[in-house]
Amino acid sequence: MDEPRRARLTAWLRAATGEPKLEIERMALLSGGAIQQNWAVDLSDGRAWVLRTDNAATLAVSHGRAQEFALLRAAFAAGVTVPEPLYLCEDATVTGAPFFVMRRVAGTAAAHRVVKSDTLGGSREACVRALGRELARIHTVRPPREDLAFLGTAPDDPCRAFIAEQRAALDRQRLPRPVLEWGLRHLERTAPAPVTAVLVHNDFRTGNIMLDESGVTAVLDWEFACWSDPHADLGWLCAKCWRFGNDAQEAGGIGPRAALYEGYGAVDDARVRWWELAAHIRWASIAVDQAERHISGVERNLELALTGHMVPGLEWEILRMVEARDAG
Amino acid sequence: MLAEEPLPPDLLAIAREVLLKDLLPALPPDKAFAARMVANAMAIAARSSEEGDAEARLAALASDARSLATDIRAGRFDPGTPQHGEAAALLDDITRARCLVSAPRALG
Repeated sequence: MDEPRRARLTAWLRAATGEPKLEIERMALLSGGAIQQNWAVDLSDGRAWVLRTDNAATLAVSHGRAQEFALLRAAFAAGVTVPEPLYLCEDATVTGAPFFVMRRVAGTAAAHRVVKSDTLGGSREACVRALGRELARIHTVRPPREDLAFLGTAPDDPCRAFIAEQRAALDRQRLPRPVLEWGLRHLERTAPAPVTAVLVHNDFRTGNIMLDESGVTAVLDWEFACWSDPHADLGWLCAKCWRFGNDAQEAGGIGPRAALYEGYGAVDDARVRWWELAAHIRWASIAVDQAERHISGVERNLELALTGHMVPGLEWEILRMVEARDAG
Repeated sequence: MLAEEPLPPDLLAIAREVLLKDLLPALPPDKAFAARMVANAMAIAARSSEEGDAEARLAALASDARSLATDIRAGRFDPGTPQHGEAAALLDDITRARCLVSAPRALG
């Protein structure tokens, strides 16, 4: 961040905090997602914050910074382990894009390190039990909520709403995807009964959860949150495509499924399995969209290009899951 | 005119070996991820795709891939329908061929 921006940021933070002597000692770009930039902000008095702002490659389906700030506040109030949200700036003229500031939390989120570690999060079992408790807290947030009005009206039947959204997404894509249609049709044929929608994080997976040796330090990346079936989050976390190669540990490649369920409380396993297939379809569709950003020239990028080549592997898994579920 | 050897897959294979064995260890750690992505892209590019008889088998089920997708959505190939097995086998074979290029490890 260049000097003029940093000066404007300092002035803005002084006004927001009411502290005229506030000084930024250091700013450094942290490793962040493809969608946002996260900056470490160290104040001269020792306070450690993170400034979160938009990157060039913003997906249309993700929430903006103001919405993410509201979600963090709702989660923080519900007792979810999130970095405490502090100040929101919707004025893009300060740093070039809207941003918010939250307390900085220590820990590791990097998925490939997390799935290899037996000690992060306490132990594998303790970690997934804690993740179950975090999800249960998230799911205590129920519609309607004025502060979360941007999430829209909660669907009466979250499973069928998911199928409709995914079909609409496929209809927007350049090429037909018969295997994703095959999976969606199976989901339609086997959809469980309607359930009351709650706040669903919608990207609760290894890589988006920060851990240290004592436990969960932060649930990150709230930009896809929606009103849906709470089992959607359990299915996304358990889906084989999000185990980062450590398939034997069914809860996110971290720990046993049973411990996750214990931590969560009442779980309908059949619903979770339905959402695991749904997770593969949704991730495949997102991967297609990411590759399309490269192919169309909107953003020429090797990582996006390679993401497209993950789609056949996801489709193979979808076919195997449908086959096993139809046989069972 | 026959293409001059070594052919593109062999060129990509040897270039990838240089990248991973000679260049990667000499790179600063923050460039390792990019180098691995380049190696991955070269591996995918080196694996050629074989069309097989998928076109003919698709034609027996639907006029093209788009109408196959539409028919699947409408339930025309659900379990219990006459062409369910054929459709399932065709999707398997097409996807297996796509995996052989893009993600062979996914096949187990």
